[in-house]
Amino acid sequence: MLGRLVAAALLGHRARTILAVAGVAVSAALLLDMVMLSTGMSVSFRSLLLARGFQLRVAPKGTLPFDTEATIADATATIAALRESPDIDAVSPVLGGNIHVPGANGTATSAVALGLDPRYQGDYEILAGRDPGEGEIVANDALLAAIGRGVGDTLTIAGGYDPQLRRFAGVRRVTIAGRARFLYLSRGQRAAAMPTASLQALGGASRRDRASLMMIRARPGADVETVRAWIARRLPRVTAISTETALAQVEERLSYFRQLAFILGSVSLVVGVLLVGTLVTVSVNERIGEFAVLRAIGVAKRTITAQIMIEGATLMLVGSLLGLLLGLVTARYLNAILSSFPGLPQAIDFFLFQPRSAWTALGLLAIAGVLAGAWPAWRGASLPVARTLREEAA
Amino acid sequence: MWNPHRIRFISDGTMRLTILVPLALAAVAPLAAARAQQPRTIAIDARLAADARLHVGDVVVLAAQPGEAGDTVRIAAITRPNADPSEIAHQEYRVRVHLDQLQSLTAYGDRVHRFAVQSRGGATTGSAVAAIDAAAFGFLAHRSRDVAVETSATFAVVSRFHRAIGVITVVASAIFLLCILLLKVDERRKDVAALRLSGISRATVVKSIVIEASMVALFGTLFGAALGWLATAIVNAHYQGVYRTPLRFALITPRTITFALVLSVVLGVAAGALAALRLARAHPLALLGRR
Repeated sequence: MLGRLVAAALLGHRARTILAVAGVAVSAALLLDMVMLSTGMSVSFRSLLLARGFQLRVAPKGTLPFDTEATIADATATIAALRESPDIDAVSPVLGGNIHVPGANGTATSAVALGLDPRYQGDYEILAGRDPGEGEIVANDALLAAIGRGVGDTLTIAGGYDPQLRRFAGVRRVTIAGRARFLYLSRGQRAAAMPTASLQALGGASRRDRASLMMIRARPGADVETVRAWIARRLPRVTAISTETALAQVEERLSYFRQLAFILGSVSLVVGVLLVGTLVTVSVNERIGEFAVLRAIGVAKRTITAQIMIEGATLMLVGSLLGLLLGLVTARYLNAILSSFPGLPQAIDFFLFQPRSAWTALGLLAIAGVLAGAWPAWRGASLPVARTLREEAA
Repeated sequence: MWNPHRIRFISDGTMRLTILVPLALAAVAPLAAARAQQPRTIAIDARLAADARLHVGDVVVLAAQPGEAGDTVRIAAITRPNADPSEIAHQEYRVRVHLDQLQSLTAYGDRVHRFAVQSRGGATTGSAVAAIDAAAFGFLAHRSRDVAVETSATFAVVSRFHRAIGVITVVASAIFLLCILLLKVDERRKDVAALRLSGISRATVVKSIVIEASMVALFGTLFGAALGWLATAIVNAHYQGVYRTPLRFALITPRTITFALVLSVVLGVAAGALAALRLARAHPLALLGRR
């Protein structure tokens, strides 16, 4: 009977019910999006940093990895020093730079180049072919498309461009050994990777025995913070950054989005609660005669309260489920906008769906909506029966 | 990354480079004895002045590497940060130094990172860019406009994101407004029945309800604009404090208010008219629940 009464009440005012459900759906969608925004960056950035198991990054003193053009001098000695630690499992040096692929009519296609040790690298994953050996490179789709080449082709690359003399420090022929996806580069950014020595040779004297970054993998069971502290003591000319530190710095830079998510999420929660609260209040006011009759024929007060609360809960539930779908669609659209941030790694998502957070947000909205209807429901069920019937009959 | 030892030097507004600065800030102390030698002057930004407790007239030592002798200079001015969105994420301190002094300090030689060239405007800018590219060996000229577009790409993305969020918020507000106004008009069933029974025409009833709904929407919007103004002031005060910048993060413009006003009045009229027509079509006794 309770179900029928609820259905009758909601279907009796179709326009009102549809608008309320639509309002709750939009509020729920916005709330879901904001929850996804507040946690998405941290989670996806953490996954990115730990994707290849490297927990520490070593950069030139006072810099973040690839934040400046500064490099670590005496890379070979630095690697040897790092390998002295029994807690360090692997060291992956990376040298950043640019290469140019000469084309017709004096034009050239430029790309980001990474010099690394393919055995330990954590910067790319091979999609086709294999890791580069001496005289070989791997390139991403953007670069291959720009130069119109594929795996197995041979081409000329140049590096160490001097803008004043308009000359390259090094030019050599290489073979494309593989097609790769670069984890830390932005969408559409052209990139290639090769053994460190090859890129150092292309860059000339200024790049000899230098590295932009070293990625460190600690042995299983080793305390990462202890390793970081050891590096800080052993190598005072570099800065070792743990995943947690990198995350904290990224969060600090992008704190605006977290705060925006908090504010808009709170507003959408309040709007959803206000909407359902107002609707239930008006609905109760309109039907006090009906409730008085139900009470007069012996229906318990708590049954009437439950009926009114179920009406509110139904609105919230249906609205929240629609909001979940709407939220996923809008999150995808909003993520596409923010993904076009210049230099943002392709693998970073601002809006990341995590079932637990999503259900927490929508559950919070549903509970808040049900509670918003509790007071008018209790008031409606507690009216004095005789007086209400007399007033309604007059 | 915020680092007290990393300071960005800017010279004459045309040259920028980042170097490691020796000044362990706690060790920067006015050097009264050096005043007699009339040291050259520098300008520092307000953040550095506040954090290192420096004032105009103080004498400090600048060096390119920790432990080097460096140059003794006098602080001649404390500058406010620019209201530039591209600078808010940069937490480096900035010091403005005479170009030749910075070149000497950093052993940079007779080199600069870039020149700012002022053209006579109009078509001469294009021809100047072409002439520099063609004639000056090793240089590449960029229009200020192109540089601005490139450096503001991040903010173009943020702006697009704000617009998209704005659309969602407007849709949510519109539905909320429609719902509230429909409920409000629906609440007037008994009043409408009484008016109709006392001989007031349907048209008059509809008009009065529409006007009432419009008034509610209008005053609600004005109240909302006041709330928005307050929120804007809080947002600006908060973020200007966090990022230590005079940049205004939120703005209420006449266009914003007009948009909100028009939207809410249109929705108010639509919701009012819809509900009023429904009520006016019903028999007065039915509205009173007697039929």
